[in-house]
Amino acid sequence: MTRVGTHNLHKIISPKSIAIIGASDNPDKVGHVIIKNNIDSGYGGKIYPININSSGTIMGYKSYKSILEVKKQIDLAVIAIPAEFVPDALEQCGRAKVGGVVIISGGFAEIGRIDLQEKVVEISEKYNLPVIGPNCLGVTDTRSRVDTLFLPTFKIDRPSIGGVSFAAQSGAVGSSVLDLIDSEGFGLARFFSYGNAAVVDEVDILDFLAKDKETKVAVFYIEGVKRGRELIKIARRCTKKKPIVIIKGGITEQGSKAASSHTASLAGSSEAYRAVFKQFGFIEAKDLKDLLNLSKIFTTQPLCTGKRVAIITNGGGAGVLVTDAIYNNGLELAELTERSNSELKKVMPKIVNVRMPLDMAGDADYSRFSSALDIVSKDENVDAIIAIALFQTPGADSKVASTLIDYGTKIKKPLIVLSIGGSYTKAHKSMIENGGVPVYDSPADAVSSLAALIRYSRYVNEENY
Amino acid sequence: MTQLEYKDAEALAKKYNIKCIESAYVKSYEEAIKFAGKERIVIKAIPQKPIHKSKSGLVAVGLDSNSIFAAYKSIIASAEKYKPYKVLAQKMVSGGMEIIVGGKIDEQFGRMVLIGLGGIYVEAFKDFSLRVCPISKKDAREMVLELKSSSIIAKDDKALNLVSEILLKVSKMYVKSDLKELDLNPIILHDGTYDAVDLRMIR
Repeated sequence: MTRVGTHNLHKIISPKSIAIIGASDNPDKVGHVIIKNNIDSGYGGKIYPININSSGTIMGYKSYKSILEVKKQIDLAVIAIPAEFVPDALEQCGRAKVGGVVIISGGFAEIGRIDLQEKVVEISEKYNLPVIGPNCLGVTDTRSRVDTLFLPTFKIDRPSIGGVSFAAQSGAVGSSVLDLIDSEGFGLARFFSYGNAAVVDEVDILDFLAKDKETKVAVFYIEGVKRGRELIKIARRCTKKKPIVIIKGGITEQGSKAASSHTASLAGSSEAYRAVFKQFGFIEAKDLKDLLNLSKIFTTQPLCTGKRVAIITNGGGAGVLVTDAIYNNGLELAELTERSNSELKKVMPKIVNVRMPLDMAGDADYSRFSSALDIVSKDENVDAIIAIALFQTPGADSKVASTLIDYGTKIKKPLIVLSIGGSYTKAHKSMIENGGVPVYDSPADAVSSLAALIRYSRYVNEENY
Repeated sequence: MTQLEYKDAEALAKKYNIKCIESAYVKSYEEAIKFAGKERIVIKAIPQKPIHKSKSGLVAVGLDSNSIFAAYKSIIASAEKYKPYKVLAQKMVSGGMEIIVGGKIDEQFGRMVLIGLGGIYVEAFKDFSLRVCPISKKDAREMVLELKSSSIIAKDDKALNLVSEILLKVSKMYVKSDLKELDLNPIILHDGTYDAVDLRMIR
């Protein structure tokens, strides 16, 4: 199979005009939901409903029997009609010179209709037409507000504008993560669900996101790649420029039993993926929660190659747990300078023992947090800071949260927050995260995310020598 | 898929400066005694068809000039039913640390090189690391440091360099040859140097 080459996905993700093939006044039809979602999300471009049985208007818009009747520039065509009609519709998209196509419809290779999928590939090549899908949710973009996801808006939270772009082969994983991203308080840039990847695959999307200036962190859920060597080629170019977080679903061990050598029997497919991720600078997530944990530190915090971590806390026990996690992850506790120690002694009450982790006691209020952060962040022996804010304590309130936001966005060193607790804590967590500082609810998650940031920073640094 | 004969595999390895233990095909016990000189040797019968050599009584280790005659006779007798075969004599390395270095073609990513704790521990501990070929110096060092057994395999910087060098050479050989799979298992690290002792190369 010859490939169209690297596809330009810009018109698909940031279209000035969209045509929905399969548009309908019937609210049960996917084409209807897509138009409604674009209206609800505030998409500002032109919308052209297409339906072969159209009588002139659909959902209040002038409608067309064929995309060829529109006779205006269409950046994105979304196809949501039964599979057997898709090749004809796609052919017309090619003739109408649309910028790109998303095929929502299922009924292709995933149910054995390889012939239909091959037709899609053929037509795409004939017109040099980037096609996402078939069998996918398509795309959404928080700036252009295009939204081809046919999920009712009341069922899924749509994230706010941010720097994380997310691509998923699986629509189900894609939409659940999208839902979660909003609750984690970091915003989204682009979202791709690319389904069967008949034409546009993860390599094209990686290439696009690597160059995309709205994307600060690219996050991938993949089940397998078709073009392994190309993935490596692109990764060599882009993993140094921006963090690429990746998770691979589906551990396959096929072929390893019949292997003829020790090497072949040890090195199965999942080991190969893991090795490639490590070798070419991908940041591998252990699970979906980890994916979110990593996304939020990489999108908000500066790179950092040092591994000396300062802890300030308003609870002694949590400080001990974080200290353990620091050493378990190959990091170390910072040793403050003499000067910092004597400054801390001046500002902390007598009950506070000045040493690492700095336990500021349960009555620590925002001013104590503030003076500690001020001294610790300026200390040359400190590379990164973990601030533990337990909101159950008498001193911790919204002023502590805003102090953490202030320092977390101002200082040049990574600052992350650990807060464990219920509804009062959760309210402050989302306040701090919306302010641009990541909050974790377990010492292990907090520290392993920081360790991943440091590992990646070292990778970038070494590679750029 | 055909396996290279031992001496052909050795010639290929040597072309890439991969050190292999001194060896020779022998046609009689006299030749084996002559090869041994004052050192201890290993004798293996290698049939054309791959079989488990030590389980089938085709390997004898730690032989000196006094024990070669009996061992040779016994191996020949066991090898009778696996004809045709060749008899290989190899010098013995005493002590040392066994590692495996290998290569395989991954269907997605192509040629990959592997290092692991070797010998009988390979399958039990599955302590290995893997990279796509060709590897860089940095990759080679990281592969060694990533092993759980890295502090045993690479006790100091000198040992780390030695093992990294082996990986770089094997990666180079693998990329430039038409080999499909290979196992150098074990390679014995000893006395500040190393010797590849068993070579399995599949074309």
